[in-house]
Amino acid sequence: MARVFNWQIGREMSYWYPESRPQKQFAAVFDTNKCIACQTCTLACKTTWTSGKGQEYMLWNNVESKPYGSYPQAWDLKLLDMLNAGEWDGNVYGGQTIFESAPAGERVMGWRPEDQDYSYPNVGEDDCAGQVNHGALMSLPHMQWFFYLARICNHCSNPACLAACPRGSIYKRQEDGIVLVDQSKCRGYQECVRACPYKKVFFNPMTGTSEKCIACYPKIEQGLQPQCFVNCIGKIRMAGFINRPEKAQGDNPVDYLVHIKKIALPLFPQYGLEPNVYYIPPVHVPSSFNRQLFGPGADAAVAAYKNAPKDPDLAALLCLFGCTESIMTHWRRQGDWVSGSDDKGKELVKVPVKEPVIIRPAFDPKQQIVRINCP
Amino acid sequence: MRRRHLSCLILILSAACTRAPRLANDVEVVPAPKLTLDPNDAAWRNAPEHVAKLLLQDLVEPRLMKPSTAEVRVQAISNGTEVAFRLSWLDPTVNDQTGPGRMVDSCAIQLPQVTGKDSPAPQMGEAGRVVEITMWRADWQAYVNGRGDTIRDVYPNAAIDHYPFDAQSLEKGSAAQAEMAKRYAPAAAVENRRVGPRKTPVEDLVANGPGSLSPNPTGSSDGRGSRSKDGWAVVIQRRLPERLSPKVRSQVAFAVWEGSQHEAGARKMRTGWIPLSLKESK
Repeated sequence: MARVFNWQIGREMSYWYPESRPQKQFAAVFDTNKCIACQTCTLACKTTWTSGKGQEYMLWNNVESKPYGSYPQAWDLKLLDMLNAGEWDGNVYGGQTIFESAPAGERVMGWRPEDQDYSYPNVGEDDCAGQVNHGALMSLPHMQWFFYLARICNHCSNPACLAACPRGSIYKRQEDGIVLVDQSKCRGYQECVRACPYKKVFFNPMTGTSEKCIACYPKIEQGLQPQCFVNCIGKIRMAGFINRPEKAQGDNPVDYLVHIKKIALPLFPQYGLEPNVYYIPPVHVPSSFNRQLFGPGADAAVAAYKNAPKDPDLAALLCLFGCTESIMTHWRRQGDWVSGSDDKGKELVKVPVKEPVIIRPAFDPKQQIVRINCP
Repeated sequence: MRRRHLSCLILILSAACTRAPRLANDVEVVPAPKLTLDPNDAAWRNAPEHVAKLLLQDLVEPRLMKPSTAEVRVQAISNGTEVAFRLSWLDPTVNDQTGPGRMVDSCAIQLPQVTGKDSPAPQMGEAGRVVEITMWRADWQAYVNGRGDTIRDVYPNAAIDHYPFDAQSLEKGSAAQAEMAKRYAPAAAVENRRVGPRKTPVEDLVANGPGSLSPNPTGSSDGRGSRSKDGWAVVIQRRLPERLSPKVRSQVAFAVWEGSQHEAGARKMRTGWIPLSLKESK
């Protein structure tokens, strides 16, 4: 295996291929605190891409309730059990990645879901972490917790699916880092399904090839955000492009959230794939759980997020989520307004940081009527 | 007394009919006036049989680490232009359906594209030195035998609300409907549908090293597989290798995939090269 540097685990690691970075890397930030699990993203993807024969069970995008939700079943727990994990020393991961843990004869340590593992797409929905005692639901803060984790392909910098394919049927696009299965080359061995720790490659039993999220690349090519982003009711998502940490640009929205403010973190960085969907961790979840999912930066990310009301720039940037279909590669705050623009500097959207508040009196003296139902 | 004589005659005849074929050290292709795709045809009775021990594919990742099928029994007959191989092996489980986590029983024969003493690497050939492969799959056989092309043929209890190509606005069987269906079947759109209705259960391929398998547009192989009581018997018929003659030998290799052990692609049991000789007509 070759040696590559993975900034998310703070060290070099083994990977099947030598390091080869694309010209640009597609990336996304998901704010878990805003997700309501309405599954509109799921349906937007489903109707756009996976409505065919053999795709019935495929959810390139899904939203699962954590801690108990998972699709396919126990995708996270099974691998965590297998992984030769270790402690973090600061931002350096001391355990083994799934490439370094690969047993003899394998390129990647993985497991193969059976078809019944896909039988319960929303298992664990709204199940909270523990028993809610009598009356506890009436008090705040709640004693128990759950949160919604929206998931798509992470379009990883070190994709396990790509490493595992013995035919080289999976490739990472140079122009945007999107990871795709070459449908003319795939022979359906399912090595990618086995290898992807996030289980975001799916085997189509009616065509005999594997399929996965394509980050709506036809839209990306037009400077537009993917379907699951623009249909998000809760405006939890922002798509863009990420630079390496040493080349982070403060006016790049993804760079700002990931590298500068460090409030958006990768999912299971210890696996070693350098995933490119970054999550703002839930603020109400035990830090041990957050740290397992999002790495050692989870506590600081939660603190920084909670501090957003006192951080005008961060508060402003968070207002740009879900405000335009276009990909914003630059942003800037001007007073109480924040705007997003494209590579050419063209302004795409401008929104107020604080929505104007207008209080309408309950009683309208002109019409002599009560305007609200519950005075 | 007459009845007892008749019984003895039947026993003697049936013993002659089920007599095991002669065992051969190599794969011997014997002349036959007519080739058959039927693995149970009488034409196979007199063809010598080579028992090929199978090895783990443990040279390139992903490797097969746990042995499964131990051996494959091989017979071969030729009519002078085509050669038919009959492969049989023990396999107590029938795996003839793909799906998530489901692999199918399969087998393949491999020959060097150029007949000669110096064959390419037996592991799928090598750069510039091509091997020709013909593969049979149990799911392809099931489609040839009449399996349908709906998700319910794979999962009988599947519930489907609607497919876009079933919209009322699209005329059934129309080009517009087919086009819409293709949009949601990317492999079919690029003519790489790996499963579904087909005319033959085999596929012609070429390779010039591990991971390089690709369709062989010049191939015209055919085949047929059937279940015996304890395994598979498969006939693969292909063009007789050029230059193969009673005086010029070649090589042949075999591979078997056991679906129940999740074998597919590089995870397989295989042989090295085995000498292949064409016997003269008597």
